[in-house]
Amino acid sequence: MDNEIGADQASDVRMHLAFCTECAHVCEDLTSILDVCRSDSPAEIVPPNSQALWCRINNIIESEIKPVPVPVEESRGRFWRLSFVQLAGAVILIAVISSVVTVLAVRRYTQPPADDFTARSAATQTTFEKLLGRVGLTETPTQARLRQAKEREAAIDYWNARVQARRIQWDRTTREAFDRNLRVIEESVNDYTAILQQDPEDDLSGEMLDSVLNDKVNLLRDFSDL
Amino acid sequence: MMICRSKNRFCPALAAKTTILLSVVFFFALFAGDVAAQRRFSKNYPAGQNVKLQLLNRMGTVTVIGWNRAEINITADLEAPAAIIVPQNLSGTIVINLVRDNQGRNEVGSVNFTIRVPYTSMVDIETKIGNLSVSNIRSGLVRAHISSEGDITLTNIEANAVSAENTIGDILFDGEIMEGGNYRFSSTSGNINIRIPFNSSFRVVATAPSTRNISFGSCANQNMNYLSDGRRIVGKCGEGSATMNATNQRGTIKFISR
Repeated sequence: MDNEIGADQASDVRMHLAFCTECAHVCEDLTSILDVCRSDSPAEIVPPNSQALWCRINNIIESEIKPVPVPVEESRGRFWRLSFVQLAGAVILIAVISSVVTVLAVRRYTQPPADDFTARSAATQTTFEKLLGRVGLTETPTQARLRQAKEREAAIDYWNARVQARRIQWDRTTREAFDRNLRVIEESVNDYTAILQQDPEDDLSGEMLDSVLNDKVNLLRDFSDL
Repeated sequence: MMICRSKNRFCPALAAKTTILLSVVFFFALFAGDVAAQRRFSKNYPAGQNVKLQLLNRMGTVTVIGWNRAEINITADLEAPAAIIVPQNLSGTIVINLVRDNQGRNEVGSVNFTIRVPYTSMVDIETKIGNLSVSNIRSGLVRAHISSEGDITLTNIEANAVSAENTIGDILFDGEIMEGGNYRFSSTSGNINIRIPFNSSFRVVATAPSTRNISFGSCANQNMNYLSDGRRIVGKCGEGSATMNATNQRGTIKFISR
């Protein structure tokens, strides 16, 4: 095309182009490009109304790009269009939720874990807890103690029934030892029960009663598998 | 030598012979009976320093002694009817459970254990009836629990967690209070004696509701608060880095300096 190769080589190339369609297409493309480049007026290669062409290209590109959803702005005036009842309801709801969260947080903060040394008692209750107890939102230590005692009684009945079923198979030594130990525990239970009947606010006796009832459950359970 | 010829006359020589013969027979019969009634169990286990002994006995005395050997030696005297003992070595924990091993048997005799363990072993022993004794242990855990009656004796103990519980019987702890340790002693009827160095550091809650007999010895100081008419004392010895809880429903609590 540029006459840069010799006649023999050019002859060979032409021969190849006569047979090879692919190379012939490439050659035609190159020839047409070179023709355009050699032309005198470059204006011929500038398309007419290039600005309109760019506009069309831009439109095509924008249509291919997925449009980003634009958040629709709520009109500011809508909130203020709530009725008075709705607003009052919302305020009450917020107040109730925040109160419940506060009560739970306070209880969690003030109540020691179960394995703490000192159990809960009226003396260790905070004023807020006492107030909640009086209005019936939480149970007082006395109520908690009574509830625990009932739970323990149920457990004692269960294990006692199992022990009674097993004890006929025990030897005399085991039976005597069991009875002796149960008697000691029951003496303590009776002592603390009597104290609490006289003074229901005696928290230490309440705690000790709970402890000996727990001991009684443990004794019954331990002997129920003999 | 006098010989008795008459069948109707009392013959002292013959009577003496008969008596001696019967005595010999009776002695051997008694001895043989004892041999049949008493059996012995013995087993050894190789052990590392962090081994744990977990024993649940039905009736009898358990004695655990720490020694400077990397092995566990279990010996037991079994009274008739002899209990079945099947110790297990479960990845570093020696488990002996006589309640499980003898489940369904109506009569099982007492078993008196003597167990030697590396002194760094964790010890967790329990019995339904009988005394428990642990000595020379320096580890993370010493727990001795008697379901009913028996004395608990813990001597020369340096453990971070110590727990001793019984219903009827005395509890003696003689050892060190470790920094950050947790110590719990509980009895329904008996005496709790805690023998510790005078410079021990711990927070304490001691409760003796019936007797109000709580003696702190050298630990008594102005940091002790007497609560509920002296039935409970809450206080601090030294910096109070460890915690101790001693409860005796119908007995005394006494702290003694080592």
